[in-house]
Amino acid sequence: MYKSYVVIVLIVLGIFIYMWQQNTAIRLAYKVSNLELEYDKINSENDSLRLKINSILALEKMDKIAKEKNFSKPNENSIIYID
Amino acid sequence: MTRKSVENISRKLVLIVTVILLFFFLFLKLIYVQIFLHSRINNIVKKMIIRNNIAVPKRGDILDFNGKILASSIKKYTIFLDSKLIDDFNEVKNVLLNNGIKIKERSLNELEKTSYYPIAFNVDACIVDGVKSRRLKGIGFESKYKRFYPEGRFLAHVLGITDSDGNGIEGIEKTCNECLSGYSVMIKTRRDGRGHIIYDRFIDKTKICGQNVKLNIDRNIQFIAEKELRKAFYKYKAKRAVCIIQNPKTGAVLAMVSLPDFDPSDKIKDIKVLRNSAISDIYEPGSTFKIVAIAAALEQNKVKLTENFYLENGRYKIAGHIIKDDHKIEGYASLKKIIERSSNIGIIKITKKLGSENFYEYIRKFGFYSLTGIDLPGEAKGILMDVDKWNLLSLPTISFGQGIGVTALQVISAFSAIANNGILMKPFLIYSIGNTKTSEKSSKNVLNPIEVRRVVSVKTAQMIRKLLKDTVDFGTGKSAKIANYTVGGKTGTAQKVDPSTKNYSVKHYVASFCGMIPAMCPEVVILIIIDEPYSNYYAYSVASPVFANIAKKTVRYLNIKEDDIE
Repeated sequence: MYKSYVVIVLIVLGIFIYMWQQNTAIRLAYKVSNLELEYDKINSENDSLRLKINSILALEKMDKIAKEKNFSKPNENSIIYID
Repeated sequence: MTRKSVENISRKLVLIVTVILLFFFLFLKLIYVQIFLHSRINNIVKKMIIRNNIAVPKRGDILDFNGKILASSIKKYTIFLDSKLIDDFNEVKNVLLNNGIKIKERSLNELEKTSYYPIAFNVDACIVDGVKSRRLKGIGFESKYKRFYPEGRFLAHVLGITDSDGNGIEGIEKTCNECLSGYSVMIKTRRDGRGHIIYDRFIDKTKICGQNVKLNIDRNIQFIAEKELRKAFYKYKAKRAVCIIQNPKTGAVLAMVSLPDFDPSDKIKDIKVLRNSAISDIYEPGSTFKIVAIAAALEQNKVKLTENFYLENGRYKIAGHIIKDDHKIEGYASLKKIIERSSNIGIIKITKKLGSENFYEYIRKFGFYSLTGIDLPGEAKGILMDVDKWNLLSLPTISFGQGIGVTALQVISAFSAIANNGILMKPFLIYSIGNTKTSEKSSKNVLNPIEVRRVVSVKTAQMIRKLLKDTVDFGTGKSAKIANYTVGGKTGTAQKVDPSTKNYSVKHYVASFCGMIPAMCPEVVILIIIDEPYSNYYAYSVASPVFANIAKKTVRYLNIKEDDIE
């Protein structure tokens, strides 16, 4: 009698573990997929921002702004180098 | 047993049997569905939930030598409508409008005819997120990588362009298309009832995306060259203009400008602007070519530096043609003087001593009439008649750069060979290929400089450099001189052939200057070509000042040690 109880409990436990494993796998798969999407999104955003920075720092644009603001290259003796 | 109780039992029995039969039929149906219909249903479900998506890799970036982005791809979206799925069209319209997307009235009529009606292109991810968050039916999104060139028309001819599918069709985009493109991968995805997607396997996007290409081009030097050349290009209303800056020791191209240029991000209306004049256009080099004859004659010991030549008082008759000198020298002149004053007659006399066979051999040795092998598509070989077919005028005219077609890159490579103690290096633009971080300088995939051949000895190269220095100090190249540095170089004012008369034009010229700094131990070689300058055509007043302006800023930027401090 005792043995058959143990067998039933083991079978139920086995089924439970199997279902838990399946459930966890699916849950994690969702999580991974979502994280992957998020990673892609952040990566794209990062690329986009990097490109924007490069575009803002384009030499032609900077040169134009410098001209508009009447900037000029300072003399060597007016620069103080700090170590 | 009473009759009533018998009836009760039989009713119960009927009920039990009915229930058992019902379950039995259900069980049979279950067996039928699970076993016999299994594969059919499985296929239907698979079709509903499994999708095969192609993961399109991001195209690699093109970077300058310091890791600044010159070309990059970012994800952009196309928003489309599926009229069959739309519940409330007005709501869709309002949501799109709130996100800055307006549906044209004309579109509304055509919308009902199709399930795919694109309404906005190149949309940013943040706008797509805004629309997606409203969870409206009938709005679809399609992502695609789009190529961007953050600096506009900067370095356009070198970078090239891509087609609508993202394949490189010009410039580095074409040369490195394979490594820039990356690898497309098929990914299986599963979709649940709520529309959530689960990927079958994890794809590391960094492994499938294209490799970055790092160029030898320095953004700052390129900017200096572009700015100064553009100024001259507009000032002289030139047909085209070219500037190349090269490191003579390695052959690395530090800057390459061809004007007119284009903005790779814009739609190209005239395909002619795509032509990179620096490597694809052939021109007659004029006097810059004289170094070839002199180097060959000195190398072959046919002439000496101290030797004097009679210059026919500026008019020399050969094969029924009269050759004139622009800068007339009376009586005799030394080789030094001939080069300084760029005497055509002097160079003819030197080349005559050298002979056609020898001259032809050295022209080829310097790399003319051969592809340099630069990593760009569309390079021209040049034009040179086989030595067996030369007539009486060929040797004299080719000696001063007429009757031969060369590319700008071939000319600068020849000058670089002189600057590099007689060794011709292969010009190259690509520094490395690989996915290194932009800040990272070292890379496993760095391309090494390639030595093509030794053209002349170290001694001859030194002699030529001295002659070029004297040309700038005392001769036609004076306007190329810059403060605190010695400069060696040669001017070239070449007549162009008029296509209508097929004779040399008296109106159209190519003004050029090729020089090296510092003169005796060069760190950079710079070539300037101004094609058909308006109002003034002499190289010393058109090309040499542009050289000086570029050289002045470049040496300061490269921190080249001053060698002419007085």
